[in-house]
Amino acid sequence: MKKTLRFRFALFIGKAAYRTGKLLKMNASHFPGRLAINLCPDFLGRIDKPEKIVCVTGTNGKTTACNMILDVLSDCGYDVLNNRAGSNLNAGIATALLSHSTLGGKVKHKLALFEVDERSSKLIYPFIHPDFAVCTNLFRDSLQRNAHTEYIFNLISDHIPKDTHMILNADDAISSGLAPDNKRTYYSIAHMETDHDEDINIINDARICPKCYHLLKYNYLKYHHIGNAYCPNCGFTSPESDYAALPDFDAGTITVKHGDADETYPLITDSIFNTYNQVTAIAVLRELGLSPEEISSSFAKVKVLETRYSSKEANGVEVITHLSKGFNPIACSCVFEFVSRQPGEKEVILMLGDIYGHSHSPEIVTWMYDADFEYLNQPDINHLIICGERCEDYKLRLLLAGVSEDKITCVPDEAKAHEYLRLDKTEKVFILHQVYATTAAAVAQNKIIDRLISK
Amino acid sequence: MADSIIIETLYPEFANLFGDLMNTGYLKKCIPDGTFIDTNLFDEPAFVSQDVSMVFMGAMSEKQQELVVHALTPYRERITELIDKGCIFLMTGNAMEIFGNYIENEDESRIDCLGLFDTYARRFMFKRHNSYILGEFQDMKLLGFKSQFSHSYGDNSDCYFYKVTTGCGINPDSDLEGLRKNNFYGTYTIGPFLISNPLFVKYLMTLMGIENPELAFEDTITNAYNSRVRQFETFKSH
Ligand SMILES: [Zn+2]
Repeated sequence: MKKTLRFRFALFIGKAAYRTGKLLKMNASHFPGRLAINLCPDFLGRIDKPEKIVCVTGTNGKTTACNMILDVLSDCGYDVLNNRAGSNLNAGIATALLSHSTLGGKVKHKLALFEVDERSSKLIYPFIHPDFAVCTNLFRDSLQRNAHTEYIFNLISDHIPKDTHMILNADDAISSGLAPDNKRTYYSIAHMETDHDEDINIINDARICPKCYHLLKYNYLKYHHIGNAYCPNCGFTSPESDYAALPDFDAGTITVKHGDADETYPLITDSIFNTYNQVTAIAVLRELGLSPEEISSSFAKVKVLETRYSSKEANGVEVITHLSKGFNPIACSCVFEFVSRQPGEKEVILMLGDIYGHSHSPEIVTWMYDADFEYLNQPDINHLIICGERCEDYKLRLLLAGVSEDKITCVPDEAKAHEYLRLDKTEKVFILHQVYATTAAAVAQNKIIDRLISK
Repeated sequence: MADSIIIETLYPEFANLFGDLMNTGYLKKCIPDGTFIDTNLFDEPAFVSQDVSMVFMGAMSEKQQELVVHALTPYRERITELIDKGCIFLMTGNAMEIFGNYIENEDESRIDCLGLFDTYARRFMFKRHNSYILGEFQDMKLLGFKSQFSHSYGDNSDCYFYKVTTGCGINPDSDLEGLRKNNFYGTYTIGPFLISNPLFVKYLMTLMGIENPELAFEDTITNAYNSRVRQFETFKSH
């Protein structure tokens, strides 16, 4: 696209805004790009771009996968233009591009990696024309913003350029069908002993065949709809994988079958969810031309992924705070499942309410009935404390999950929740909290530790 | 009595976008002796060959609405007969639109629907509507959340479900929510509509012939409901 006067003006103003923001020590990762796009709507199409562009999208794991790819590329000496510091909307990508380009609109980087918000597909892909488009998975997400997977699928699929090479998760019967006529590479995780052969979660967003709409069957399921599907009616199957991974959590390695070769990498996570993200990263890095040896030696240096939790101990009791992205039923179900797997007698404090959002409108609770609160119905989870104004809703949800009423305490004021812990035979206390309640959870954690010390 | 109650859920494999299946999930707890039938897309619905007590269907995607129209069209006459007989239908979210005349896309193409109500729906795929509503049905307050791409138009003044006091009805300019004919109840509110409205559950149980119905977890669900009514009324006054 030609560099018009309008584009040059937008670039100048955008760069000026970026520099001013930097000088004022403001986070200038979104606003300058927004300004440039407002001044020149096809700004992203007109600005020079690196020779090779990789975009990563998907409901869950896109940030983690991007971080892994960037860490390995940086370790291997690549200078990668990216939007890690900023937003994953068109303005964030515009800011990343304009901040690294000259006033003439030239860019020195050879490679770019952008995380892309699914809903921004229309505003991004046609303009930046990625060489590779990666999708980690598609799940139901915020119903208010994302509606349902069919909506998000169409948004992405309709706006991916025809010559973009897709890198897709073969184990996702939804996203593996994106941009069906494009060149594609698939990755997957092979069958494992811990897999299931039928639905274990409330939600499975791919119960019906994408081709004929009859019920799908699964050779194996990892979680929700992630697994190896086939349709007994029309013969649809999950696609053959180009990178078929098999993690060995005990040995801390992951073996990836690619062509005739088995490549072995250090495994940098202990969860199946993040293993998918690592396999995504391996597939992308291999397709970019890195050797297994390069990737492997970089992974060995990458910090092991931390789950978003912190643990303190006193008097033999471990007190753990764990982020549980409320309103996202998949994320919550994963955390509940994690808690259910932890050994020991447990008490759980739930701080999942929307303590800020509800000042604008009533808290929407439909997601609760998509989240697997059933995981919290365990013989060794002895007590559940529910905080927040809507605690009766959570109590009802727990009762419907089969938790007996004597195990549930409602404490509307979350600052007082810790006072209600029984701490009789408790070995672990979990505080599962919303992003908004991170501070409240940390305060509660310290108060519980104090209480345990003075016991 | 309760052992002769049959409740059918249509297409639970996909018409479940927002926790909708907990509507029948909760009814199972309230009516443990009832028979609950799940019918998949290519199966003949149970209501075709027997008089069921209630038919439930939840929210779905736009493509799936077309599949359901196709699946139910052969049974149009039977559905009419059941509605006339007083069979309960509960349709949440956009499931309700299937019973109107048609659904119109943004390019003005139309999907013909069952035509049991003289209304039609229009889709606005880039303008998602999110809201909450509170209203009155008989002597009870009903409430719920909406999250949808489409609205219904046409005159529902003689076939609305309930009149809203907060929020909007079948479209942003209407204060008449949903569709009703005999015991057919359609509402755009999504997800666990019955969980949010325990008084309506009791009402349905009475319609099914249960005397002095008792709700599962009655205290908790009533407290949650009362607290939400207060919350909705507070926001209304803002
Ligand atoms: Zn099929």
